[in-house]
Amino acid sequence: MLATVFTKTTRDRWKAMAIAIISLALLLLMAMAVYRDIDLSVYTELPEVFLSLMGIPDGADVASLAIGVLYGFYGALTLAALAVSMGSASVAGEERDGTIGLLLGNPKSRTNVLVSKAASMMLLVGLGALALWGAAPLVAGILDVRMGGMQMGAYALHLFVNAIFYGFLAMAIGAWTGKRGLASGVTAGVMALGFVAVGIFPIIEGWENVAKAFPWNYFDNGQPVINGIQWGDLSVLLVASVVLAGIALVGVNRRDLRGQNVGVTLLDRLRSNPMTQKVVDRLAGATRVSRIWIKTASEHQGLLIITAYLMFFVMGVLMGPLYGLMDQTLLSFADQIPKELYAFVGAGGGDMSTAAGFYEVETFGLMAPIAVMVVTVVIGARALAGEEQNRTMGLLLANPIKRSRVLLEKAWAMVLYAVAVGLFTFAGVWLGSLIGGLGIEVGNIAATSFLATLVGLVFGALALALSAATGRVRVAVFGSVGVALVFHLVNSFASLNDTLAGWARVSPFSYYLNTHPLENGMDWGNGAILAGLTVVLVGLSVVLFQRRDLRQTG
Amino acid sequence: MTDQIAIHTQKLTKHYGDVHALVDLDLDVRAGEIFGFLGPNGAGKTTTIRTMLDEIRPTSGTASILGMDSHEMSVEIRDHIGYVPGDLALYPNLTGRDTLTYFANLRGGVDWGYVDELTERLEADLSKKVGDLSSGNRQKVGLIQAFMNRPKVLVMDEPSSGLDPLMQRAFQKLMREVAAAGTTVFLSSHTLSEVQRVADRVGIIRHGKLIALEAVASLRSKAIRKVNIYFDGPVDPSVLRPLPGVRDVTVENQHARLSFDGQMETLLKVITERFHVLDISTEAADLEEIFLTYYRDEEVTA
Repeated sequence: MLATVFTKTTRDRWKAMAIAIISLALLLLMAMAVYRDIDLSVYTELPEVFLSLMGIPDGADVASLAIGVLYGFYGALTLAALAVSMGSASVAGEERDGTIGLLLGNPKSRTNVLVSKAASMMLLVGLGALALWGAAPLVAGILDVRMGGMQMGAYALHLFVNAIFYGFLAMAIGAWTGKRGLASGVTAGVMALGFVAVGIFPIIEGWENVAKAFPWNYFDNGQPVINGIQWGDLSVLLVASVVLAGIALVGVNRRDLRGQNVGVTLLDRLRSNPMTQKVVDRLAGATRVSRIWIKTASEHQGLLIITAYLMFFVMGVLMGPLYGLMDQTLLSFADQIPKELYAFVGAGGGDMSTAAGFYEVETFGLMAPIAVMVVTVVIGARALAGEEQNRTMGLLLANPIKRSRVLLEKAWAMVLYAVAVGLFTFAGVWLGSLIGGLGIEVGNIAATSFLATLVGLVFGALALALSAATGRVRVAVFGSVGVALVFHLVNSFASLNDTLAGWARVSPFSYYLNTHPLENGMDWGNGAILAGLTVVLVGLSVVLFQRRDLRQTG
Repeated sequence: MTDQIAIHTQKLTKHYGDVHALVDLDLDVRAGEIFGFLGPNGAGKTTTIRTMLDEIRPTSGTASILGMDSHEMSVEIRDHIGYVPGDLALYPNLTGRDTLTYFANLRGGVDWGYVDELTERLEADLSKKVGDLSSGNRQKVGLIQAFMNRPKVLVMDEPSSGLDPLMQRAFQKLMREVAAAGTTVFLSSHTLSEVQRVADRVGIIRHGKLIALEAVASLRSKAIRKVNIYFDGPVDPSVLRPLPGVRDVTVENQHARLSFDGQMETLLKVITERFHVLDISTEAADLEEIFLTYYRDEEVTA
């Protein structure tokens, strides 16, 4: 292992991990404070299978509920996302930055470089998991909440192994392809699909075991926080991680390293095909560069295709027939559950006993805003800071165009892509409802998809504003995603506690599903607030961007 | 070249915290001239250019191009300029032609016949993706985009970077042609031979301050040059040493070697009055020598 590479990688990344852990600890403080003040009998009276599905441990108390939702969802996702970011950047990131040649110009093997980066990832994720472990009793102590017989060490170990599995998956894809975006995107897709699948398949009769095909199943399926280390589950993830690390090592040693990262888009492929060359040449060539917003949109085609497919087919069309296959007896319990309970899974309060409620929880609760945000945050963050990072902004602004025009055209591309994801979500859910004979109002589907688009746009506009203010892609991405997580949590938990209920209104998410648009139709007031927020943030971006010096590097 | 001023800076100052990147820069570049802007790394050349183009805002002072304030009228200015940034970066996923089309669409009014001519002269390949091009070929795309709108002012930061010697010559010829046609060229470069070959005047910057601003010919006349003099008989070196501007004198029989810093006419007059000179030769001072002289002097002063 190379100490220098290990140290540099760790030094480059520790801040992100530290900020994430501190944020999670503060959120845990808030969650525990909320749970401390509510009547927990609503949880304990639920059927066991339902508790299990929602990840609520038997004999749940304040601490286990708060830790279950904070660490089991937000914590696990955050740690895994940081691991993915490090894993995908390990080789592919150096290639994209054009530094891999210099790094390997030293008498050190590719294997050594990769092992050092993997070690750094494991160290930081390990420290993150340890810090989460330590934060739990600390927060409980501050609030005078009893921790009971919780196995926090076991839980931290599960968090660690789960995160590094996704880190190694991203590393393997990056090592074989040299494409950081692809590595992060595919891994995030696997993570998201697993998360959804683990929530759905166990309640479909005869399909219970399908969940086992998804890695997320092995994270906390056995409730390690109550039952201790689940060696069977951990072994699956550990063996898979070792295999993926091996695949990464083989990959990075076998292939040609990339110089500057030149991606091949679908249009590029069609352009090189003699059959389609003539038409596509015009489209991929002249049209693509005819306006700033068209060029910006063309740069993110892959992202749109993957996101739109996921929302249309997986989260839209497939969900309809799946609902019909579910255990209706089990679902009928759902109408006895207080709506506030759905805050536990961050669903905003859908009633799973109805098809509309089911779609609201599964498709619109998390996945739809995440899908729109993936597109809007990436475009928003890269719009200005990306050009500055790639050192092309100076040349772009050497043309007789205002900074505000560059920003607004890029914001327009972001809006169009958000609308496209919203439209695909609408079409998918509508078709799913038709196929499954669920009879959800088409107007309500449109309203919910529209609100999902708007809430995603608010955070895209925030990424744009951060990008405009700082010129740094990382600040824009992590800043906007972090704020989104906090607001999501605020909205979910504030509704559980009367004294905090008013705080929910500060969260943009409260203007999304809180009025249950899939059942009740469009709330134009909420739509106007979300649209207004987006416009204000874009306007703020213009002011911020016009005032500052352009950066020479990102 | 005319007496009209194309680029003007007045007390232009840029601070980055405690770092004074540019200090009270006063500069006038005449319309139609090729102005060489010299200085070592970190002297403030790129900061000057970025401030002129409104990429960054001055801490104090002003800059104007073609009589327009570089901040207030930056969009109008950019209608008339061509720009090659230092460490040029383009969009790797676009072909050379797509790149030029993109900028032509943003700019408007680009004559594609001229683009083709430039492409031919610089032997550029516009069919490949920029990311697949060598740095020199990528630089050619950057040069074409700067020239293609026939700008009134060309601002170029290390434009020859990556070009082979033949292509550097072709580029210099192009620069001289556009300057002859009235374009002002602001050329920041480390390639001193290039500046010497094409520039009418040079400005030398150090630690953000302008330390010299003169015509290349005038700078040459002031530079130290090596002089070889052959006399018809032995010469006493102590006679040569006290002469004004003369230093490092060595004499070998009838052959004297010396360094001279001053007007050649004065030296010749003094020597020919006292001695019978058989032959005299001087090694022409090049810009590198002048550059180094300035910096040595500045270091001594500092």
